[in-house]
Amino acid sequence: MLLEVRDLHVEFRTRDGVAKAVNGVSYGVDEGETLAVLGESGSGKSVTAQAIMGILDVPPGRITGGEVVFQGRDLLKLKEEERRRVRGAEMAMIFQDALSALNPVLTVGDQLAEMFTVHRGMSRKDARAKAVELMDRVRIPAARERVRQYPHQFSGGMRQRIMIAMAIALEPALIIADEPTTALDVTVQAQVMELLAELQREYRMGLILITHDLGVVADVADRIAVMYAGRIVESAPVHDIYKAPAHPYTRGLLDSIPRLDHKGRELYAIKGLPPNLTRIPPGCPFHPRCPLARDVCTTDDPPLYEVSGTRGSACHFWRECLDG
Amino acid sequence: MSDRHEEPEAAIAGTSMGGAMDLGVDEAETLEKTPAGPDGAGPEDRPRSLWSDAWRDLRRNPVFIVSALVILFLVFISLWPSAITSGSPLKCDLSKAQEGSQPGHPFGFDGQGCDVYTRTVYGARTSVAVGVLATLGVAVLGSVLGALAGFFGGLSDSVLSRITDVFFAIPVVLGGLVLLSVITSNTVWPVIGFIVLLGWPQISRIARGAVITAKHNDYVQAARALGASNSRLLLRHIAPNAVAPVIVVATIALGTYIALEATLSYLGVGLKPPSVSWGIDISSASPYIRNAPHALLWPSGALAITVLAFIMLGDAVRDALDPKLR
Amino acid sequence: MGRYVVRRLLQMIPVFIGATLLIFLMVNVMGDPIAGLCGERECDPATAARLEQEFGLDKPVWQQYLTYMGNLFTGDFGTAFNGQEVTELMATAFPVTIRLTLIAILFEIVIGVALGVVTGLRRGRPVDTGVLLLTLVVISVPTFVTGLLLQLLLGVKWGWIRPSVSSEAPFDELILPGLVLASVSLAYVTRLTRTSIAENRRSDYVRTAIAKGLPRRRVVVRHLLRNSLIPVVTFIGADIGFLMGGAIVTERIFNIHGVGYQLYQGILRQNTQTVVGFVTVLVLVFLVANLVVDLLYAVLDPRIRYV
Repeated sequence: MLLEVRDLHVEFRTRDGVAKAVNGVSYGVDEGETLAVLGESGSGKSVTAQAIMGILDVPPGRITGGEVVFQGRDLLKLKEEERRRVRGAEMAMIFQDALSALNPVLTVGDQLAEMFTVHRGMSRKDARAKAVELMDRVRIPAARERVRQYPHQFSGGMRQRIMIAMAIALEPALIIADEPTTALDVTVQAQVMELLAELQREYRMGLILITHDLGVVADVADRIAVMYAGRIVESAPVHDIYKAPAHPYTRGLLDSIPRLDHKGRELYAIKGLPPNLTRIPPGCPFHPRCPLARDVCTTDDPPLYEVSGTRGSACHFWRECLDG
Repeated sequence: MSDRHEEPEAAIAGTSMGGAMDLGVDEAETLEKTPAGPDGAGPEDRPRSLWSDAWRDLRRNPVFIVSALVILFLVFISLWPSAITSGSPLKCDLSKAQEGSQPGHPFGFDGQGCDVYTRTVYGARTSVAVGVLATLGVAVLGSVLGALAGFFGGLSDSVLSRITDVFFAIPVVLGGLVLLSVITSNTVWPVIGFIVLLGWPQISRIARGAVITAKHNDYVQAARALGASNSRLLLRHIAPNAVAPVIVVATIALGTYIALEATLSYLGVGLKPPSVSWGIDISSASPYIRNAPHALLWPSGALAITVLAFIMLGDAVRDALDPKLR
Repeated sequence: MGRYVVRRLLQMIPVFIGATLLIFLMVNVMGDPIAGLCGERECDPATAARLEQEFGLDKPVWQQYLTYMGNLFTGDFGTAFNGQEVTELMATAFPVTIRLTLIAILFEIVIGVALGVVTGLRRGRPVDTGVLLLTLVVISVPTFVTGLLLQLLLGVKWGWIRPSVSSEAPFDELILPGLVLASVSLAYVTRLTRTSIAENRRSDYVRTAIAKGLPRRRVVVRHLLRNSLIPVVTFIGADIGFLMGGAIVTERIFNIHGVGYQLYQGILRQNTQTVVGFVTVLVLVFLVANLVVDLLYAVLDPRIRYV
């Protein structure tokens, strides 16, 4: 395994109490593999990613337990300086909104070149040449001229390409993409996703794709981890999940996608709202919204049951769910 | 105090940095540390009105409670100074000039042998009167002109904007010196009139900005489409949204006006003896600073605490009302 | 950019005319411009009439204003109460006040920004709370009180400095007055920097910079500071005009013979020419400083473009 997260716990101290954002998440990614992490806002998918990258806001955030083993080392045990050398060079992150994630007062060239001057000790001139090369690599036209421009002078899709260029700059082993296409127009989304998938294949990088968009997942992901209230509720190869979900929450997510062949029927929606993370319900956190919920669900928190060798579900009644 | 006290508000309004200069000590802090749920989803809360929400916050804010108590006390002694002092601020005994603290005269005597304690107590009346009346005048004039300019736009708006520019270009203390140096009246009114004359552009800018923002809200457009009259639009739909920023700026300005009155009195053009004012007392004590520093320190302390109380109150109100911090 | 500057310059004209006219009217209508011309004595009616004619005071006010402004632009600022040319007074007064303002600005930049950065990065810690309280106190205590107290402590009690400044007003004697003049702005600069740093610290691009594996120093200096100081720089720029106009109190406390002192004398003696002349220059400084600040904004923040 390239990266293995084991039993990760993250909390946030807020005015309303302690928000348990991540509660015992475990997942792994191999070289060249794409793991899609799926979930609503507040499910803990982004916080997990931030904990892996080591960019959690501490305080108010705090990692209270678990391991993040990357290329054989537990990152959580590294000193901050060692951790910093890993960031950007061996694992990189792509953020959702490139406009706010890029520094508005520095040229894109400066922001790209910085990767090489800081991590590789290159001269500014060489680094600048590398920046142009990278912009060509992510197919930004007229890279030589545009390298001197500022982020606001680019279109949304072009800006996201610059974010991608920055992420692949030092050919990291792992890329975490946090909703990389959510802020883009639908037509541009596909192009950016294609570019990302192509670069991943070329460099054989591991990719963690954080999204709430099931449409994107089907095309590019190898495995899916579905998160709810800070835990993984289902984990499976992508085709298994689409064929038959083993958790009522996953089923709810799939049923709420509009489908052409179901035209005219009412669109399904999961009833209720995600729980407040300072007051996660006892038992299975999904039980107040679950159509299959019974008494046991209000008292016993289900473990991740093994459905098959490659598949797990945190539902007491996963069999029932699987049968539809 | 100089004109610079009013400057940051103006500078901020000019550079669209509204609310950036929060003077908030702890309120902003706790609010900021409340992430809207780690992935961006906030905890579910029932909607509350801006004002009841603000009041709930204020009641819990120690800064607000302390400054409000100080202000209540000041208002009390300006209305009934004899409640805490039996002397008269004008009864002076030259033989006791510059003497220090003694029984019955805890703050000692000033250069003319007047009781510093009594004068300090009576000085509150001037400061509170100038502060409150000037603020009322500025708030009414400024918000009416600003709201009308912001609402109707066009020529009236450009003219008003240029006029406010003119007033901003004149240093406040300088204007006070020029205008008040020729006035011989010995009441608070010229000072109040002067502050209103030079203070209204600050409020009018705030009110104008707030009205323009509110004007473009969907519900206002909807009300307009439903045929609401201009006066109804302005009074029922727009004004309530523009009131909060005006109140915040006016409260902070109140403190600075008190300081401005003291500064002008110190320079000899505000109130003049035999009026009782902290500024006059500080000015008349400054030649004896070496021998009788107490005559300078007590009124200075009273002035500083008063200004501080109003600025902190305004600040606490701003934190409570600023929706951006929520 | 060029067109923007031209437009701004054109917009400055009515403001300039309005401000100078306002002061001109205040001095002329409210006061008695002749009163100061006969020295301490009251003018006898014959002399008064002669003087009125000589200075064109029998003409309507708007005509007087036009004549005055006309003279001004040919470099004739008139004569002061003591018979000196106003331009001569300016030549001695402005260098002093400019020195004083420079020192004040330096204090704002060095102390204000440093305190703001330190507290902004340590929000909520004891250092932060302490500095915040201190700035509140500095803002609340009027400048003249701060000035008198510092003069009492440093000048009279401890004897560190001369309580009043000599007429040459060299830089070293202006350090304390400069600090007093700067005090309130300094507190605002601290607060503005602190808020700006604290706000930007949680911004997405700072998170990106950390995710890129940049050393903390580089994240703070190159990414955080560069963005956070934009509003601070513009505040300090706009403050130049205010400091020069606000120096009256400070100059009076420390007996500095600068612009504020001359203005104060001019006002006491109701000398129109001195007052209006000095104020005109101050208004110009204020307007130009504001224009420069706006242009500076565009240089510092590439997102802003003037059309």
